[in-house]
Amino acid sequence: MTLLRASIAILLPALLLVVGGTAAGAILTVRMSLHAPGAGAGLFEPGSVSLSSWASMGDAHHRGIVLTTILTGLVVSLLSTAIGALLALLAAPFAGLRFMGIMVLILAPRLSGVLASLFGLQRLLPRGWIGSLIAETWLLVPYSTLILVIALRSIDPHLVPAARGLGASRWQVLRWIIWPLSLPAVALTLQLGWVWGLGAFLGPLFLGGPDQSTLAVEIHHEAFDLGRWPRAAAEGVVLMVLTASAMAAGSWRPRP
Amino acid sequence: MRLEEISFRFDTAPTLAGVSLKVPAGAFVSILGPSGCGKTTLVKIVAGYLKPLAGCVFLHGTDITNAPPGKRNTGMVFQNLALFPHMSARGNVAFGLEARGLPSSEIHQRVEAMLDQVGLKPDERNRQPGNLSGGQQQRVALARALVIQPSLLMLDEPLSNLDSHLRDQMRGLIRQVQRDTGVTTMMVTHDPEEAMAMSDLIAVMNQGTIVEVGTGRDLYQSPRSAFVARFLGLANIVDGSVIGRRPGSSLLIRPECLVINGEGVSFAGIGKVINSEFFGADVLVTVVLGNTQVLVRGRPNIMPQPGTEVRVSAMPGTIHELPADGES
Repeated sequence: MTLLRASIAILLPALLLVVGGTAAGAILTVRMSLHAPGAGAGLFEPGSVSLSSWASMGDAHHRGIVLTTILTGLVVSLLSTAIGALLALLAAPFAGLRFMGIMVLILAPRLSGVLASLFGLQRLLPRGWIGSLIAETWLLVPYSTLILVIALRSIDPHLVPAARGLGASRWQVLRWIIWPLSLPAVALTLQLGWVWGLGAFLGPLFLGGPDQSTLAVEIHHEAFDLGRWPRAAAEGVVLMVLTASAMAAGSWRPRP
Repeated sequence: MRLEEISFRFDTAPTLAGVSLKVPAGAFVSILGPSGCGKTTLVKIVAGYLKPLAGCVFLHGTDITNAPPGKRNTGMVFQNLALFPHMSARGNVAFGLEARGLPSSEIHQRVEAMLDQVGLKPDERNRQPGNLSGGQQQRVALARALVIQPSLLMLDEPLSNLDSHLRDQMRGLIRQVQRDTGVTTMMVTHDPEEAMAMSDLIAVMNQGTIVEVGTGRDLYQSPRSAFVARFLGLANIVDGSVIGRRPGSSLLIRPECLVINGEGVSFAGIGKVINSEFFGADVLVTVVLGNTQVLVRGRPNIMPQPGTEVRVSAMPGTIHELPADGES
């Protein structure tokens, strides 16, 4: 009990900062989304509350953006997990310098700056939704791989020889041993990819076409190009709800 | 099972150097040796997890040296058991049969029969390994290896992680199941008592070679080298020879063959006790006889104190002459 109290006491400042910071940001965004256009800068002035920025959230333009955002999240999540799993299966059996060498190659994209990578990808990839998907996946794959490699390497190294010795084929070992034991890590990378993809900004900004804008790009456009902060905030609230739903869905576990 | 001139090396250090061994069908053979002598490497080669640099492995007359592990029809119990943690005890045992694509009715019947044989209770069979005790896990591992009806069962230090009470229980169970199934069995162990209690034959290994093969009784009472004599139990090895044979060899006398203040006739001397240790069932007394220290295992009711003088004699017919070329 004393240890628990001590742990809480140590964690409390960080917890307050995270919860407080997130809550304050969320509350401010919601309030900004309810700000009447042309009501001036004061958020607490009488008559400054309006639903007018929300009126356009259900129009075809925004429905298209939300759909693109959700699809981007799903595809980036699936692609990065699948590629990460393949790379992790490739790297995990090695040890020592060979393993380090393979991991350096896999993590290399994160060693260069994000912008440098994207400028490079801009020259190589087609502009449009596919390009932005590839760019976002490219940025995320090192993280997915890292999670999956750690999961694979934490599996008891005797299990695969035991299964092979009992007559299981490579495919049966993958299906019956490796897959179920790495499932929690796969779920984590899917969730990470899903949340990452929902917030996709740089990929769609650098490589996306005008018709495949995501919520993050649209927020930037509304706020910084058009100066419509309440509308940007309303889109931000939609993105927050989507992300929170994704987090909740990813954290759900069936009762044992 | 027959091994012919098996050699293997990790990096540059030779791990196995020309190991040959013949195990009769249905026998229980133990590979006994100190840590790092190559016994686990040998079993991994037999199981197909390592490929020898030279030599052949024969099972029922067929050369299986290059066959993959799953095609050798061997069962293995790993030192850490390697049970599949996400499967129930039943799932673990059924694994090898499912991999072979047997019908589910046959799988069910064979799994239940095997779990009955190893004594795993019905209410324990749906539990995952993490919810089973060490002994129960051991039973599951044994059942998993045996249910595929292997031609050869291999046990890699199967009892090393168990406490002494459970070890005694499992020792009996393994031997009983082995006798019931008649499967040829090869067990790796560093524990001579375990090897002697369970095996029909023991192959003693040292530094990558098999130094001697025999029954536990033969190896204990009449070893051909001082290494084997010492490895199998406490040993008094003194310079000397049997009258009428060539001099320069050594004599082996086990501590339990010596008697303090008794009526033995083969060997006698007066010595001073320098240490006495009580082990419950017996005592171990260290006595200095001239220039030699000897160990005497005696009854617990006779425990001479250090400093006292005692007469040490050997029971008739218990002195074994070690060959002169044996390692001393």
